[in-house]
Amino acid sequence: MLKMNNISRIYQSDTIQTHALRDFSLNVGAGEFVAVTGPSGSGKSTFLNVAGLLDNFDKGQYELDGVSVQGLNDSELSRLRNEKIGFIFQNYNLIPDYSIFDNVDMPLRYRGFSSSERKRRVEQALEKVGLASRMKYLPSQLSGGQQQRVAIARALAGEPKILLADEPTGNLDSLMARQVMEILHDLNKEGATIIMVTHDPDQAREVNRNVQIIDGQLADFKIYAPLDRESQSSNQSIASVVSKEVHKEEVDA
Amino acid sequence: MRNNSLLSYNILLAMQSFKRAKSLYFLIILTLSIGVGVLCANLALVNSMASDPIPEKSANLLHVSMNTWPDVQPPDEPMHILRYRDAMKIAESDIPLRTAVFYASGVYARDIESTSMKRFDSRVRATTPGFFGLADAPFAFGTAFDKSRGMEIVIGHELNQKIFAGKNSVGKTLELDGELLTIVGVLKPWIVRPLFYHPTEGRAFDLTDDIFAPLETAIDLGWSIHARSSSSDNYAGVNETRDLNVYYLQAWVELDDIAKKSALQSYLDNYSQQLKDAGGHPLAIKNRLHNVNEWLIEAKVVDQKVLAFTLASILFLSVCIFNASSLLLSRFHAAKFEVGLRRAIGASNKHMMMQGLTESVLLGVFTGVIAVILSWFFLKISVQFLPRLANIAVLEPKLLVLGMFLALITAIASALYPLYRANRYTISAELK
Repeated sequence: MLKMNNISRIYQSDTIQTHALRDFSLNVGAGEFVAVTGPSGSGKSTFLNVAGLLDNFDKGQYELDGVSVQGLNDSELSRLRNEKIGFIFQNYNLIPDYSIFDNVDMPLRYRGFSSSERKRRVEQALEKVGLASRMKYLPSQLSGGQQQRVAIARALAGEPKILLADEPTGNLDSLMARQVMEILHDLNKEGATIIMVTHDPDQAREVNRNVQIIDGQLADFKIYAPLDRESQSSNQSIASVVSKEVHKEEVDA
Repeated sequence: MRNNSLLSYNILLAMQSFKRAKSLYFLIILTLSIGVGVLCANLALVNSMASDPIPEKSANLLHVSMNTWPDVQPPDEPMHILRYRDAMKIAESDIPLRTAVFYASGVYARDIESTSMKRFDSRVRATTPGFFGLADAPFAFGTAFDKSRGMEIVIGHELNQKIFAGKNSVGKTLELDGELLTIVGVLKPWIVRPLFYHPTEGRAFDLTDDIFAPLETAIDLGWSIHARSSSSDNYAGVNETRDLNVYYLQAWVELDDIAKKSALQSYLDNYSQQLKDAGGHPLAIKNRLHNVNEWLIEAKVVDQKVLAFTLASILFLSVCIFNASSLLLSRFHAAKFEVGLRRAIGASNKHMMMQGLTESVLLGVFTGVIAVILSWFFLKISVQFLPRLANIAVLEPKLLVLGMFLALITAIASALYPLYRANRYTISAELK
């Protein structure tokens, strides 16, 4: 799904050259849920930006879902972003003046879908995150967790090949963070490929693969052993809490 | 289908953007509207001054200037006013299709059937009958008089409105300075802008005349000359001018074929030479034929002050564009996050450019509407300062279209730099 070979990203200021990524190589297969960890300034965000085609790289090869991205022009890169990648940001990045529906609808507008198809996809995506009843709400009328679920719905609406999440629970309290993580795990179970940058070792441990970036390079060891989610009784109870929470919201709405 | 859908989406986004920053867009629209409005108002004046008043045959209508001054101190250039006998020599020629010889006068007019003693101060064109066909004067009722002598007149639409409330007044009699003349024709509303047949002496923006009277009759009745005249002889009244060196008549000819211009020139030059040979004048042979547009340029119809002000208003519009551009730059800067987000979820630079241009075009349309209203307002103000422009301060449909077009261009021009900057934002940086 994602193949990076010897990627380098160098930021050049007047006097300083910073190697944000240095000969970085990573392969992520379809259906994997990869947690990317590392200290601040290690290059996690740069990796995610390069992977999400939001930033260029200076050297190396990058192939996304079989498409080599080198030499693609802006329109081609934009189309790849639109069709193959779903972004989930730490700050949700919802447009405050737009309704939930319009926020989720945004990427579909650039895809050329008919309005009925867009409506179907938006409703389906919001259904998946338990917010179908709040389509007309503004982001400010939702809690942080709900806003992040809207952001997930926006990422899902285009049915992308890969989800890139940049500390998706970083701004949430533990309960809401669990809701979001449960949704991501459910999506992964349904076959979604997910790469998640996180600072939280517990979240990293939950996923089936985690990698660490140090000084712009992939560390060749794993810090966190993946947990067997199914055997974790605590997780079971959290999952039920989440389901109850979502159900309660739907009833309230 | 996809393009239509994106266009409607871009329009929706533009309207939302206007709503979000109402005050800022109001300032931008106002800034551009004032700039475009001022320029449009000036262009309306220049357009009225510089336009061809009779485009279908302006090249074939020639004004005659001659150099027959009998004195040894001649004017520098041939005179645009002629002696009676010189003008009649032109009228005799069979080269032109039509000839008009005339002078401007003025009388007080009253309907003899009216119980009121009120008289209307009326502008008179004392002319040969050829004037009407030559100038394409449009008749509402009746016809032109067909001789240069006779107690018949043609009146203009305005005078007919004032005296006869716009009804058919053919056959009615007017008392003009104590003389009774019968109306044989009434003109439709007739706008000649500029007044090509008499643009000299600051009359280029006057209305067409109230009364058209046969030339010989006006001379016989001694109707005074209300325009420039020159004389090397003393005379007591116009009725004495036929045989004297009194220069006051203007002559226009209409050629059916402009190739006949050289024949006419030779005719005039031969006549001047004969006069000179007979001792009529000591001057070099110097006769000029100007077509309508050449004559308007010669008469300096386009006011240099208005031209200078137009140039100043172009500079003012440039300043308005810079101002609007800087306001838009701040607006686009504030929307950096949204630009970054849209780019991240799949909008290309081209999409964002189209979104920005759609917003600019809508901005241009709103600006255009306000600019057209403002230009009308500015024209009214201009007339307060320059009353002689009252008859040309008109916003023609083509000026309205130009105003809209200018507004669109300025709105797009204002957005170009902000759009260029917005397209250079780094997506990842804007989303942090």
